[in-house]
Amino acid sequence: MSTVNGTFCVTVMKDRCINARMPGKCATCVEVCPYEVYVMDGTGNVHVQNYNACVGCRICAEFCPEDAIRINPAESEYLVRWPWTFPQVEEIHHKAQTGEYMLRGFGTMGLTPGFDQITIVPSQIASPPPRDKYREECNLEVVIGEDTCKEPIRLHYPFLFPAMSFGALSREARMALAIGAAQTGIISNTGEGGLLRDETWLVKGYEDERRALRRWEPGGYLVVQWSTGRWGVSADYVRAGDGVEIKIGQGAKPGMGGHLLGAKVTEEVAAIRGIPVGSDALSPCRYYDVQDLEDMKRMVAFLRDVTGYRVPILFKLGPSRPYEDVRACVEAGADAISIDGLVGGTGASPAIVTQGVGIPTVALIPPAVRALKDMGAHRKVKLFVLGGMRSGLDAYKAMAMGADGVGFGAAAEIAMGCRACMACHTGRCPYGITSQDPELRARFNPEEAGRRLANFIRATAEEVKILTMLSGHDDIRDLSEEDLRAMDLNTAAITGLKLIGYDRRLPWWENGRGS
Amino acid sequence: MAPVLDASERELRSVSTELKEAVTEGPVVIQGAAHLHGLVAGFKSGEVTIRGDSGDYLGVLNDGATVRVEGNAGRYLADNMTRGTIIVEGDAGYGAGPYCYGGTIVVKGDAGDFTAVMNKGATILIGGDVGDEVATYMLAGDLVIVGSAGKNLGNYLIRGSIYIGGKWESLGHNTLLEEMTPADLAKLRDYFQQYGIEADPATFRKIVRLSEKPFYKAKKPA
Repeated sequence: MSTVNGTFCVTVMKDRCINARMPGKCATCVEVCPYEVYVMDGTGNVHVQNYNACVGCRICAEFCPEDAIRINPAESEYLVRWPWTFPQVEEIHHKAQTGEYMLRGFGTMGLTPGFDQITIVPSQIASPPPRDKYREECNLEVVIGEDTCKEPIRLHYPFLFPAMSFGALSREARMALAIGAAQTGIISNTGEGGLLRDETWLVKGYEDERRALRRWEPGGYLVVQWSTGRWGVSADYVRAGDGVEIKIGQGAKPGMGGHLLGAKVTEEVAAIRGIPVGSDALSPCRYYDVQDLEDMKRMVAFLRDVTGYRVPILFKLGPSRPYEDVRACVEAGADAISIDGLVGGTGASPAIVTQGVGIPTVALIPPAVRALKDMGAHRKVKLFVLGGMRSGLDAYKAMAMGADGVGFGAAAEIAMGCRACMACHTGRCPYGITSQDPELRARFNPEEAGRRLANFIRATAEEVKILTMLSGHDDIRDLSEEDLRAMDLNTAAITGLKLIGYDRRLPWWENGRGS
Repeated sequence: MAPVLDASERELRSVSTELKEAVTEGPVVIQGAAHLHGLVAGFKSGEVTIRGDSGDYLGVLNDGATVRVEGNAGRYLADNMTRGTIIVEGDAGYGAGPYCYGGTIVVKGDAGDFTAVMNKGATILIGGDVGDEVATYMLAGDLVIVGSAGKNLGNYLIRGSIYIGGKWESLGHNTLLEEMTPADLAKLRDYFQQYGIEADPATFRKIVRLSEKPFYKAKKPA
């Protein structure tokens, strides 16, 4: 397994453990752990056999009927031995032993500039009065492609589930995303792994107890992704979507293509992608059928033509040069642009790329918004911010900085049950979310996970509503940078927000560089 | 006699809208379409003849139509085609037949670099020479080159077969020269007969993959 090992301490409290009292009677931890941390010996006694294999997913603690297991980080040396921490030492050993670089799933670890150093300014006497969250309405709707398509996407909430492919995710997890989107009126995105047979109707409706098809209100939207590998793509696939997303890059590995490890390429995945079972599926890092921006404009034009000018065309960008890249997307004819930050996640990526390449999410927004304003496209071409978005608080801040909405990728996985153990790349997700193993997938209930996703989205939307109304607005489109303050110099410098105390923007933002 | 649709100085949307209606009635001829990119996109049926040259992305996402180009085709011919036939009497530009899952592409003249890139099942016949990096990351299907090829022919070949009548500058990673079988010879003879290409199958060489997993093996636990 290519991950940093030995960073967790597994403790079993023998006074609580059923097996310790009655050997052979309980081995739940042995059964649920896909990493063989526990073992049962011939006498029925369970032992912690392999501490080093624990990835910290905590599924054993969750399933333990007596709450007898504790998983704690073993890394207390982060401060005292820096930079030769245990994971760093282990990584060097891994490379020395295998000659291979480290792979990692999920996303960036550690601190990067983020939204936590931004605070929201509530409404008082010098500003429009606050709105009553309990008795007044607040508009959260975002419309994509209103002026360009016959069937624009009308998001009930300003959120979407970003592209997460079948292959990286299990079939059941993809179904749950469609169900969650259907119940909340937001977007589910196929990613580049092709379309599941049930996905197009799961995102709109469900089968009732009499096996009749019922439509969810408000009903969700399925965006199909057009990417560099073009897995499972056909005219029917493109037409099956309520929108088509052209993927340019992603936050976890900008400048690289998709990388689905062979461990996840089952017969079903292989059939959709047209590759041998067990073979790594590598999407190219660039389009073989695009050489310049003119080609990209032509691509948008023929995708509109194939879909009958019915659905919006979206772009997805990685965190590179946000001002120039967003301008290029607008020129190419985008109806919406998702821009993914350094913190964005993935199923598998070289660890050094996930950790060290790209611009943090919060720093992408000012130049991206400035590009849209300079092109006269702000609020027309919708901007969605992805990468480490966790809550309504993050969403509000991103939208007040000028975004039209946000995407929840990792947060959606966590809402489905993930514990962020960062071992997606192993294909042995204990919760069956990022695994193709039938036994692990059987642990995952798509309907229950879909309900959890819908709950998460509704609760997050309520958070956005609370924050919007306490800052004196009844429409998310009225949010502005004036509703925010930076709490430290670094954040004020990066974002152009007014600095608390100083109560002005930093001088270089006032001298024409600001958004 | 097929109706003639004059596309000169017209935009893609208006020509395409008219074309979609016209093909339901029977074969259609289009002229003056060299400036239109992405024509005949995603058609499930119909017969279209382009009089003169075509633009880029002709027949993109084609899903059953038959398209004939009397002149030369632009870049990315039949991009991501799944079914149907596209025949070009002249040359094709850069990247002919990328990402195709199926169907047949016949270019009677030469084709550019990156022809048949990521081909996933189409049959692609090139009557003349091809450029560099042809059939890169090909996953399935047949590529037949009557003439010669440039550098890195069949680079990172995964599956499928490349048949070549002329020379090549260099072969790409994961390629293997294999003996032509009687079935291969019969297949090529059929192709040439069906599409009116003058070539002798006996002079052809066959290139296949060396290993099934040329990139990175599924990694074992460290």
